Amino acid sequence: MKPVRGIMTGGSRRISSEARCLVSGSRAMSSAATTPPSVDKVDGFSRKSVRKAKQKRSQSSSQFRSQGKPIELTPLPLLKDVPGTEQPELFLQKLQQCCTLFDFMDTLSDLKMKEYKRSTLNELVDYVTVSRGYLTEQAYPEVVKMVSYNIFRTLPPSDSNEFDPEEDEPTLEASWPHLQLVYEFFIRFLESQEFQPSIAKKYIDQKFVLQLLELFDSEDPRERDYLKTVLHRIYGKFLGLRAFIRKQINNIFLRFVYETEHFNGVAELLEILGSIINGFALPLKAEHKQFLVKVLIPLHTVRSLSLFHAQLAYCIVQFLEKDPLLTEPVIRGLLKFWPKTCSQKEVMFLGELEEILDVIEPTQFVKIQEPLFKQISRCVSSPHFQVAERALYYWNNEYIMSLIEENSNVILPIMFASLYRISKEHWNPAIVALVYNVLKAFMEMNSVLFDELTATYKSDRQREKKKEKEREELWKMLEDLELKRGLQNDGIIPT
Amino acid sequence: MEAFKLMRELKINLEQESIYLPWEKGLNLLESTLENDKQISARCRDAKVEDLWSLTSFFGYRTQTFVQAVNLLDRFLAIMKVKPKHLSCITIACLHIAAKLVEEECNIASTHDLIRISQCKFTISDLTRMEKIISEKLNFQCKAVTALTFLHLYHEVTLLHTSESKDSLSLDKLEAQMKACLCRIVFSKAKPSVLALSLLAQEIEAIQSVDMLEIAQCIQRHLKIADRELLYWRGLVAKCITDYSSPECSKPDNKKLVWIISRRTAQNLHSNYYSVPELPTIPEGGWDESGSEDSCEDMSCGEDSMGSDTEGPSVPPHLHHQINKQQTSSPYSQGVSEHLGATCH
Repeated sequence: MKPVRGIMTGGSRRISSEARCLVSGSRAMSSAATTPPSVDKVDGFSRKSVRKAKQKRSQSSSQFRSQGKPIELTPLPLLKDVPGTEQPELFLQKLQQCCTLFDFMDTLSDLKMKEYKRSTLNELVDYVTVSRGYLTEQAYPEVVKMVSYNIFRTLPPSDSNEFDPEEDEPTLEASWPHLQLVYEFFIRFLESQEFQPSIAKKYIDQKFVLQLLELFDSEDPRERDYLKTVLHRIYGKFLGLRAFIRKQINNIFLRFVYETEHFNGVAELLEILGSIINGFALPLKAEHKQFLVKVLIPLHTVRSLSLFHAQLAYCIVQFLEKDPLLTEPVIRGLLKFWPKTCSQKEVMFLGELEEILDVIEPTQFVKIQEPLFKQISRCVSSPHFQVAERALYYWNNEYIMSLIEENSNVILPIMFASLYRISKEHWNPAIVALVYNVLKAFMEMNSVLFDELTATYKSDRQREKKKEKEREELWKMLEDLELKRGLQNDGIIPT
Repeated sequence: MEAFKLMRELKINLEQESIYLPWEKGLNLLESTLENDKQISARCRDAKVEDLWSLTSFFGYRTQTFVQAVNLLDRFLAIMKVKPKHLSCITIACLHIAAKLVEEECNIASTHDLIRISQCKFTISDLTRMEKIISEKLNFQCKAVTALTFLHLYHEVTLLHTSESKDSLSLDKLEAQMKACLCRIVFSKAKPSVLALSLLAQEIEAIQSVDMLEIAQCIQRHLKIADRELLYWRGLVAKCITDYSSPECSKPDNKKLVWIISRRTAQNLHSNYYSVPELPTIPEGGWDESGSEDSCEDMSCGEDSMGSDTEGPSVPPHLHHQINKQQTSSPYSQGVSEHLGATCH
């Protein structure tokens, strides 16, 4: 057994490596931040308390400007100060200027020019929002070029091998002051009245979309939020790209589930998918059903489910509202992937299941009630009180109760044994109290069946007890026999 | 027990049963009372007896405990004018007294648990005081001769004399039916011996055993139970059993029960998965989504006029991007679907 190192040593060691990072100012100079392994793991489990001792992460960016000399941009006049005929040309020039990138990791360099670019971008945002007749054909490639230059970059690798999206602070993008405006500008451009997809599609093509999708892995949630809106608009306007986008999202998710289990933008992509699913035409195409079964359901198996579970559940329920016949494969899929060792996930699954049951059709309910309630019966007996509590709370749901009532002769026998047992054996008194509520509901629902089951249960228990007693007596008899034989051998008892 | 002893046992119990009969006038009064806040009605009592049954079941008490508790309750209510707000306390007190009479010490639930599970508002000392009061008012004659006593004896007698198999007459089933009867106040007016015999007779009739029928008649003669009385109660019992066995489920009244859950679970419940997403719905285009591998859509004639490059009718031009502002999608997307009407389903 490894000796447990003091928390102080480990923590301070990490803090000092942080300090080195900040002082040097540039990410390129810091050593690859490896976490000292042994302090983190005690008996093989990582100590979250140790990790919380880390300081808030500094910002990072992968935009490196290696040029030594300062950047000089000739200030251009404001668009509003120029006559309407000259504005399109000026617009293009400003776009060109905004293609220049600045190093935000170095907080002191090019401050004046950074501010200039920022105010130019701001101006462009306003211009695109209110203007008419500014969007010439030449503007499109320039816009796309400017946006591409600014946003498309290799994302910095995650600082720590053990970045836990749930616990740790995300690394924020340092160049956000400019980046935000670029996104803002692009969105307004896409939404502009004058925007024509027929022209734009030459420049916003599959390659563009592919790079856009890669950006969803950004750790900065603000960026992902903008990306979400951008992709949503692109999906809406470019019919020719829709199938491609769907396919790429498929790939991302499949890679996420089966290969890397790392991708920061799952929630955002799912939100977009939610709005797409909502708009599906009926009857649902086979491709979409495949997506549900092969991609969305397996997404439930990922460890970091809590980060995107709300959006995932929404997508699932939307699918079921579109086509109730999908209920059976969905629920069977969830049951297949039911968490066995992670109670937090179990609680999530129970929440999602309740939402599904809220919209389920009675005919579909009958198809899956047996396997479903077998699982619920296991949840109810779980020693983890939150799981048990969440499962028992289903009986407070009026619609679910009405479904149970209609099928009580099937459901009651499945639930009975575990309910009865935990009313006697569960360690948590609150759970026992809830079980009373459930049993009482069942009793009133179907007294005859309930009494029958009670009688059977009692007689089963008695039989078991009897068997146990017989077994014990048998052992005792054997013991006595051995003893007797021993005493005979020793000549103490005459044979 | 051999036949002779059983018969003697029956006689002894018969003599004693009238001691434990609730005062009939009092029961009549209960039956005729209309439901209001100031007085207890028959329905109140019936509801409480059902609760007693739930608790008996839950704590794993024997049927005998239940029957004793009901007997105590009825006797007490028949002679005392009780306020409805005290009824819960009285009910639980009766159950506890009965449990102490019947159950083994280790199986008796604590008063704390009783109060907690039944979700009652009174305290343990209230309960203890009430138990004393009840015992006093009933002259400490707590352990009653009940219909169950007779039922057990009848069952033994019948099995002893019958040539049929032992499994044909199920004691469990009889007990369950008796429980159903006891949930109605009218049966508290019956003599226990008569009630038990009615149940027995009904069951024998159901299984159609001529053999057992004779035995039942023997018992009736032995105990000198009048035909008219037996017939009267048999009628009521029959009706009660029909209701009990009917497949119609009565809707459980969940509102009466309090669902207390932990704070964490409550928080989870409130996090609303169903929040309207910020992104408006994008209706699926019915036509050419070029690049799709399974673009096996029918290109209906209405679509050709549109051409494949026209603007996707998804996000309206007037929809400005507003940061952090929720957009509702329904009125718009309906409009769009109409626009596409010819093409989509």
